[in-house]
This record gives sequence, structure tokens and C-alpha cells, in this order.
Amino acid sequence: MANKKINKKDIAKLLNQWGQQFAVFVPSRESGVAAMAKWDGKDTSFLDWYRNTVVPPKSNFLPPMEEMFRFQKDKEGYQIELPPDGGKQLIFGIRPCDARAMAIIDANFKDLYQDPYYLSRRNSAVLVGLGCDNPSESCFCTSMGVSPAESNDVDLMLTDIGDEFLIEEVSDKGKELIAKTTGLKGATKDDEAKAKEAKKTSYDKVTRKLDTEGIADKLQASFDDEDFWEKVAAKCVSCGICTLLCPTCYCFDINDELVRQQGTRFRSWDSCGFPTYTKMPMENPRAEKWRRVRQKVCHKFEFYPMSFDVIACTGCGRCIRLCPVNWDITQVLESVPAKAKVRK
Amino acid sequence: MIKWLDFMNPRTDWEPKLVGFLCKWCSYAGADLAGTSRRKYPANMRVIKVPCSGRVDSLFILKALRLGFDGILISGCHPGECHYQTGNYRARRRVAITKRFLEYLGVEPERIQASWVSASEGGKFADVVTEVTNGVKEVGPNRLFAERQGNGTKAKKRG
Amino acid sequence: MLKDREMEQRLRNEARTLLEQGKVDWFIGFEPGSLKFATTPLITKDKNDTERLVINSFIVNNLADFLTQIKGRVGIVAKGCDSRSIVSLIQDNKVAREDVVILGVPCTGLIDLSKVEKLTGKYRDELDDITREGNKVTIKVNGNKKDFPTTQLLFDHCLACELPTPKEYDVLLGEPSPPIANPVAQEKIEKLKQLAPEERWGVWEKELSRCIRCYACRNVCPACFCQRCFVEETEPQWVFPAPRWQDNLMFQIIRNIHVAGRCTDCGECERACPVNIPLRSLAREMYDIVGELFQFKAGMDKDAPPLLTHYEEEEAEGIFR
Repeated sequence: MANKKINKKDIAKLLNQWGQQFAVFVPSRESGVAAMAKWDGKDTSFLDWYRNTVVPPKSNFLPPMEEMFRFQKDKEGYQIELPPDGGKQLIFGIRPCDARAMAIIDANFKDLYQDPYYLSRRNSAVLVGLGCDNPSESCFCTSMGVSPAESNDVDLMLTDIGDEFLIEEVSDKGKELIAKTTGLKGATKDDEAKAKEAKKTSYDKVTRKLDTEGIADKLQASFDDEDFWEKVAAKCVSCGICTLLCPTCYCFDINDELVRQQGTRFRSWDSCGFPTYTKMPMENPRAEKWRRVRQKVCHKFEFYPMSFDVIACTGCGRCIRLCPVNWDITQVLESVPAKAKVRK
Repeated sequence: MIKWLDFMNPRTDWEPKLVGFLCKWCSYAGADLAGTSRRKYPANMRVIKVPCSGRVDSLFILKALRLGFDGILISGCHPGECHYQTGNYRARRRVAITKRFLEYLGVEPERIQASWVSASEGGKFADVVTEVTNGVKEVGPNRLFAERQGNGTKAKKRG
Repeated sequence: MLKDREMEQRLRNEARTLLEQGKVDWFIGFEPGSLKFATTPLITKDKNDTERLVINSFIVNNLADFLTQIKGRVGIVAKGCDSRSIVSLIQDNKVAREDVVILGVPCTGLIDLSKVEKLTGKYRDELDDITREGNKVTIKVNGNKKDFPTTQLLFDHCLACELPTPKEYDVLLGEPSPPIANPVAQEKIEKLKQLAPEERWGVWEKELSRCIRCYACRNVCPACFCQRCFVEETEPQWVFPAPRWQDNLMFQIIRNIHVAGRCTDCGECERACPVNIPLRSLAREMYDIVGELFQFKAGMDKDAPPLLTHYEEEEAEGIFR
């Protein structure tokens, strides 16, 4: 089956076409901050500067803040009002690392409890992937089993072949969408060859490497090595940047806001890095910073794989780029002792 | 359909909602005196008694604005007469920087007011509340934290 | 100041000696980071680690932030702004003067990589090299060199800096450097002040809509050392935890009021913010308000009382009726 292609100049038309059925999100930059925002109908300048967003696409499915329901107390009890349906989203330009991240955290939201808020958005959304041609020095996706230019986690995959994008149908949803889309041309053998070349070039451009062989076992062996974790955690300032902006982090907090007999229940992003994350009335098991840092590393590379058979990291590099003290997970993992330290 | 209570919604019969942090030893007593002297003054101010004006954290002022109060008064003993010696000096510094900072951000200066009212100044208290209420009436309801897209405040243009 | 080899060598020797002779338990400085041009804090008890210490135009962190976390005596590298933060902590009785050995770095300003990216149109890892000589910075891209005046590339807070060379130190690692005090540093705030008050609040609404409540601004700030921050308080709940612009703005306003008189305009809050909120436009204004109303500058005199515990008989006239 032949792939399609589209000229970069026609992207706006394509997005507007898709905008008839979906709320289309494209990379946009406000005050220098790249994030997915609603397509405004004309601006495709992101094709010039887009590398990756600061805010990961998880924000489209698990928003930084969302209303769960509104409630009002009356004589009979509580009346609950659910939020209106959000509609279908189309995320244009999602990178393979972020698309893989969505697949990784899906497992969590479908586990023992099917999260309706997350899943209703996720199931109705279309992901149109865009291969990287300029990975950042902080990217290490290739070490995490992700290619910067290929993805099985999107519905359509675009590859930059010069003035045009090659469009590959990856999922059934993608096939259906293309079947209803007009204005696309057929790709030639030449285009396919260019795409293959572009993909290889992107792959080779990712220079940061991390060896994850046996990492879960190493972490388990080092769990009680307080000296090691204290050293690792020394320069961390316990903010939430690495977790809130990580595409595979999904922790949230639930709070009610009350005005007399009415209220709203909100869900919002939370971080295991915050000192009060595990605070309970009687104690806080992770009061010390090194315990929180250990938790973050072990959750991603040991505990999540134990539950879901996949490392909760796709090498997007945001945590390294955005950390105020340049704490680097790849350096930390490389320094985990191979053997367990003898317990004191 | 749940009617969502928007206590910040301006109505045509709007009366400002004011909160006054009055120090127990001087200003609260002064307010009491205004009452027993049967002085008439606007009834818009809800009073919160604090042991000293120095107890007023900037958090109180901001929380009052956040909740939708249209104006805030902090009132304490005259400098040099504080029951706890230095509390009102602290209040003076704190309120000064809070007021100036909020004005920089665009909050109307009439919303945050402060006064020295002693236990014998019932008349002054009534005058202060009247002035504050009129000032707040002029700037209108507090829509600072209302849900809208950048309409700003009604603070007067500075010369 | 880029790679001032002499200062670096002196620093490494001093740091090693301090640890060797047991004069300090910990040493805090900067070492090369894992990203191009980046540096990262080095916090160590091991004298051999001191070989990695660096001084260059990218040593951005305010290391005083770590003083309230570390127990014991600490040797610390301090630029002008950092030394003022240390003095401010001494004024607050959080740190004892005899527990810190301050190695002062006469600072000539740090290069803002986001300004570099904006001016060159390139991401930082696409640049070959950045070197500095006198009043100009040379940026090499794809083999081509381009010169820029330093004033275009330094951080705003460096351009505004009044004390680049520490006043309080145990060792000064080089020749004192003069303040830059370039008026362009105040442009953002001046522009804001020219807006009508009603527009200004709208600006902050827009900027704080991006806030995700990561608290990086608070956590990199040396003046924020509370064990339990007001945002973490639930009885009463001062600020709602979710990232609504109203509550984000509440957090910023109160945080700036709480650090008034202890903020030294080190610029870390704005640099650390992952979503580019112009936090310095809040912090610097508070710094100026405090200077104007009470002639107080944070961290200038370790024996002076902190701003909010001191008072004069008569001051701030006209605020109270």
C-alpha cells in the first residue's frame, strides 16, 4: 500500500480540513515556551523552529488542572454535575518519545480502575507524529527503545523529506482518517528512499546514550545505600520540574473547593519530589530529600517495570534540559553501583 | 441545573464588602466607642479582632482580596502607643510594602487602607470607615480574581 | 571572565586545603554540567572532587540556597549576589558566620543562554563555542564567528547588579570588578510601569496562566527556607493547590512579600522557571520598593537587623491615616 505525502505549504489547508472534525493542537510558542496549543487556523511557523514542547502532550489527556465534578448539597443529599464532554482532539506534531510515553502511562490508567477522564480523551484522540530531524543534546530516546523518527504509538507518522512530509498510516484510526482526507499526493519510490535516509540520519544524531541493562536489579541492590543516594540527591532542590514536565509521570492530587453548600472537585498535577507528597497526619516517610530522589529514580526504572513490564522513561530529555541545577538522570543511572553495598 | 454562586458578580444594588483588622487594645475599642456614642457610619465593614496590628500578615490582606472583599482596613494603635511596644511598627513596614507592591501590580490603591485609631477616637474610627467605604465605592467591585481574559482592574490611570 | 584560569586554580587550591585541613565539612562550588555550556553545583566532602571546580560565565546557581540544608561547616563559592544572600541568611540567624568560609568570586556578569539563542536563532547545543574578551562575546556557529557586545547577552539581573564583588568574604579569588548598572536592565519593569494599572493586572494574569506550580522559583531561592511553606498549609488553606492563574498569582505575590528585604535580585527565580514567567519583574520591583521606602538593601551588612524586624520612629508616612 503506497504512502501519501503533502507539501509543507499545504499543511495549513490540511489542518483546517482536520479541524472540521477535531480540535486540532499544534506546537506553538508563547513567550518562548513551546507547548501544544489550539490551531489558530493559519500559523504554521512552528515548522521552522519546532524541536519539542516544554509541556509534554500528557497535558492534553491529563491536564494540569481539571474539574472532576461540581456538587451541591441540599435536603436530599448531594447533587453531582459532571463536566461537559471535551470533544475529539488531534495532536499534530507529537514526537515519537512523547507518543511512546502516552502508551506507557495508558497502562496505569487502564489497570484496576478505568479512569474515565483520561480514557475518554485518549480514546477519541488522533496522534499525528512528526519525526525529529534535529534532536537535542539532552535526548536519549534511542537508549530507551524509541526511535526519533519512527513510532508505533501514533496514528499517522510524518517524515520530513525536504519540501514535503511523507505520511505513513500506522494505526487503523490513521487509515480511516486518511481515507477521509483530500488533497494528499501519492508518495514515490524516491520519496520513500528519502524518508528512509532521513530516519537514519535522525537516529544517528542522538548522541546521548544510557545503558539500561540490568538497571532494575542494580537499583534494587542499591536501595538501602543511603550514602549513594545522599550524594545523588545533594544538589536537587526538590522542585517539581522533572516530574511535572515528564511525559511518563502521572501523579495527581485531588482537592475540593467549597463555597457554603456548593463545591467543585479538582484534579491537578502533583509531584513525588515535593516534601509534603507523602506527608500524613502522623509521619512523612519521605521527609528526607534523598528518599524522594531515590523514589523518583526507582519508580521509573524499577517499580513501574515490575508492574507493567516497561521502563517509565522514553529519553525525551526534558528533565535534563529544564532542571535548574542540571541534575542528570543518565549520569545518576550510570553511577548506580553494580553490586549491593553490605548493610551496616 | 446547579446555580453556581458567584459572589463576585456585581449587581446594580452593589454595596462594598469590607473587612477591617482592628487591634484589640486600641482600634477595636475605638470602634466600640463609635458605637456607644451612636455615631452613624456605613455598615459595610466586617470586623476581625486581632491582638495587635502587627498580627496582620500580608497573607490576610491577600486572602481577603482573593475571597472577593472589595476593601481591607488595617487599624492599630498610634506609633509609640502599641500595647506590645513594637507591633504596630512591624505592621507599618509590612502594610507599606504590601500596598506599594500591589499598586505596582495594578490593584487599586483605595482597596487597601490603614489607620491609627486609639481607644478614645470613636469619631475618628467612624470617619475612617466612611472615607474607606466611599473610596471603595468609587473603584467598584473587586473583580481582580474573577474569571475573565485580562480585563485588568478599574484602578485610575496614574499621571 | 570566561575561563579565568588563575581564579579557577586558586579556587581549587583553596577548596582542597579547606577540606584537607578539616576547616570545613563540606565544600560547595560549580563543576561542568552535562549540557553544553552548563555548570552544575558541586557539593562534596571529598577533597579530590575539588579538581573539577570551575569559574566561568555560566555559573548561574545561587549556592547559598544549599546552606540551609547542609549541616556542619561549609566552604562556599560566592559571586556578589550569592554573598549577599549568605549575609542575609546570617542576618536571619539561619547560618552562623563562623560556619561558612566564603570564597568570593569578583563577577563580571553571567551570559544568558536564552538571550544567546534569541540573538543567534540557534539552540544552545547548535553553537560551537562562546568566548568572552573584555566588552565583547564571540559566538562561533558552524565555523563562523560573530561578535556581540556583552551588554546584549548578560542576564538582566547582572546588568542591574550593584555589588558584583562580594563585600563579605574570607578569600577573594581575583581583582574586584565594578558594577555594570546598565539601565537596559530595568526595561522590562519600566515598560510594565508605563501600562495603565488595569492593563498591568491583565499582563500578570496572562503570564501566570502558564505556571504549573513546580515551585522551582521558591526552591532555588536562598531566602525561601521555611520548613513548611504557606502554600503547603491546609489549615487554613491560603492558596488553592491547583494551577489556576488566580492562585498562581496569589502564590507569587505572597512569596515576594515574604522574601522582601532578603531578596538580592540574583535572578535565579526567573532563570529556573521552565515556562519563562518574568518573575524578576516582581522580585526586582519589591527590591526597589524596599530600597525606596526604607533605604534597605538585602545582605549588605551582616550585623544589621533584617528589614521587617527593624523600624524607625517615623517612616512610611502617608500610608496610615
